[in-house]
Amino acid sequence: MIGTTTRIAWRNLGRSRRRTMIALAAIGIAQTAVLAVTGMMNGRNDWTVDAVTGPMLGHVQVHAPGWREDQAPDLVIEDVEARLAAIRGLEGVGQAYARIYAPALAASDVDGHAVVMVGVDAQLEAAPGGLLDGLPEAGLPHDRSVLVGSVLARDAGIAVGDELAILGQRADGSLATDLFTVSGLLRTPVDLINRTGVVVSLAAAQDTFGMPDMAHEITIRGAGSGAGDAAPALAARIAALPRLAGLEVLPWRVLAPEIEGMLASSSAVGSVVLLVVFIAAAAGVANTMLMATFERRRELGMMLSLGTTPMRLVRMILTEAVFLGLLGVLTGSVCGGPIVLMQGHTGISLLAGAEEGADLTAFGVNFAGSIYPYLRLSDYVPGFIGVTIVSILAALWPAIFTARLEPVEAMRS
Amino acid sequence: MHMRMRSIFAATLAAMLASSAPAQAQPPQPELDTITRNIDEVFRSSGTIGRMEITMVTPRQTRTMRVRSWARGQDRSLIVIESPARDAGTATLRVDHNLWNYLPRISRTIRVPPSMMQSSWMGSDLTNDDLTQSTSYRRDFDGSVVGRSESPVGWLVRYDAHEGVVGLWRRIEMVVNDQGTLPVESRYFDRRMRLARVMRFEDVREMDGRAIPTRMVVEPEDQEGHRTEMRYVSVDFDADVPESTFSLTELERGR
Repeated sequence: MIGTTTRIAWRNLGRSRRRTMIALAAIGIAQTAVLAVTGMMNGRNDWTVDAVTGPMLGHVQVHAPGWREDQAPDLVIEDVEARLAAIRGLEGVGQAYARIYAPALAASDVDGHAVVMVGVDAQLEAAPGGLLDGLPEAGLPHDRSVLVGSVLARDAGIAVGDELAILGQRADGSLATDLFTVSGLLRTPVDLINRTGVVVSLAAAQDTFGMPDMAHEITIRGAGSGAGDAAPALAARIAALPRLAGLEVLPWRVLAPEIEGMLASSSAVGSVVLLVVFIAAAAGVANTMLMATFERRRELGMMLSLGTTPMRLVRMILTEAVFLGLLGVLTGSVCGGPIVLMQGHTGISLLAGAEEGADLTAFGVNFAGSIYPYLRLSDYVPGFIGVTIVSILAALWPAIFTARLEPVEAMRS
Repeated sequence: MHMRMRSIFAATLAAMLASSAPAQAQPPQPELDTITRNIDEVFRSSGTIGRMEITMVTPRQTRTMRVRSWARGQDRSLIVIESPARDAGTATLRVDHNLWNYLPRISRTIRVPPSMMQSSWMGSDLTNDDLTQSTSYRRDFDGSVVGRSESPVGWLVRYDAHEGVVGLWRRIEMVVNDQGTLPVESRYFDRRMRLARVMRFEDVREMDGRAIPTRMVVEPEDQEGHRTEMRYVSVDFDADVPESTFSLTELERGR
């Protein structure tokens, strides 16, 4: 029984092909738009998370309690090597490295400039994801050599080969003074580093600032591609290490709450597009079904007089509507999927139209480069579910109208 | 009923207070100009040589430095750290609005940039700006004597920054002693009119023929548990301090 109803409903779609095609096109284009936008949002969110957790933040950070508020030089993590070893021993930890942040006055001639000395484990941070990602071995800071942020170097007139005098504060509060040689300029996606950073080897920073086996921060990068989402769980396991008792362990979402807002706003954009799609689908389906039922009044009246129950007619019309909707979404998916795949392959430049090398900075992250849209299987689902529901709702009125037809009246018209 | 009882009580209290006020002989209110001039002149002389002990307290550590200072007129000064040994010889030279730090361990001199004038001087709660004393009550502020201050006791003088003057403080409230000759307490309000720090002038004693507050305590409001104390060990007013003391060559020659 249901088989015949379904078959009739399906065949009905073919009766006015042009009308069906127009409805399919409307729903299809809408679904294509949803997929394109969703793909772009996916790409942008991943890119944002990567950029934010990338060179500076990592996925999880460890500090002495209070350091994030005060950044007082004496709020240090002690026994840093033993603690790093404990963290590295955990499953799911990709990399873990210690850093020192020391505000200082730096001068290559007599004029001083406000800088932040950043002590890093140069070997480890040269790996992908680190602050010095991509730098060749020879370019890394070592011993008494430092890398100076590109913008800082330009503003302060610091050149490679200059001797840099440093005045800062040691962890015990006394004065830290030292001389370094500028071995290179550093351009990172982290604006703060470009503007104020002087990157020095961890060992040299520990020596200059009186911090043997100490650091201000441990940055942890999770292993694998889902590390961004796995960060809270990883943070909890790190915090549970007995070696890390008394320290503050936080995942990146807590460390950079403003990013959360950015991600939420993009998902809001996605919702608006989805809504537009549903309205387009509803209009398409409602229009088609109204026309179809009106046209077929005689035939429907005939079916009723032959003993077809009104319920079956309702089912038939609803099935037809759902077929129409789903077919439209399918068409859209078949078009949209490859488009997003193609975009994902070539990438979309974030600075299209901007000058080469222009900087776009927000939340301290340099928004250069391209995003790569992609779709998850689950991104196709809302369109299918939504359009099915909307189709049923849109066809409900024509369906009820049909069920109430007076067979004789209908046939006469 | 209650309201009335309370208002009667309040009126009685007010009357009692009013009647008791004349009993405390109120000192005559000094002129604003006199106060401003006195405050400016407290530590000033043709040549001043002093020794100070500076104690910096943070929630986790306490550190004491001994410094020697030379000053001449309003805009020349030199401060050299004598102890602890590690920092000895480190010197800060101020000429007009310029500030240089000499670092003997690396034999280098660094000029403090304008952007760091509000930063801490040598890790204390004093700013570099405090050392250059670029804040001029007379030039940049409108002063007025507000009236009596109860805590601490003295005259309350308020200095409001002129409209448009770019500076660290928007208002400085100063309590001076009854005679209007010495500062007792200064309260510094930032651009948003938040109390940023309080400086207390304590332990008035005679040194080299002048009655001066020999201990000054600075407490920043936004950093709990932080405090810097400066105590005069000795001071020599109107001493012979040659102009050449305040040169970069002299700074780097060491003492």
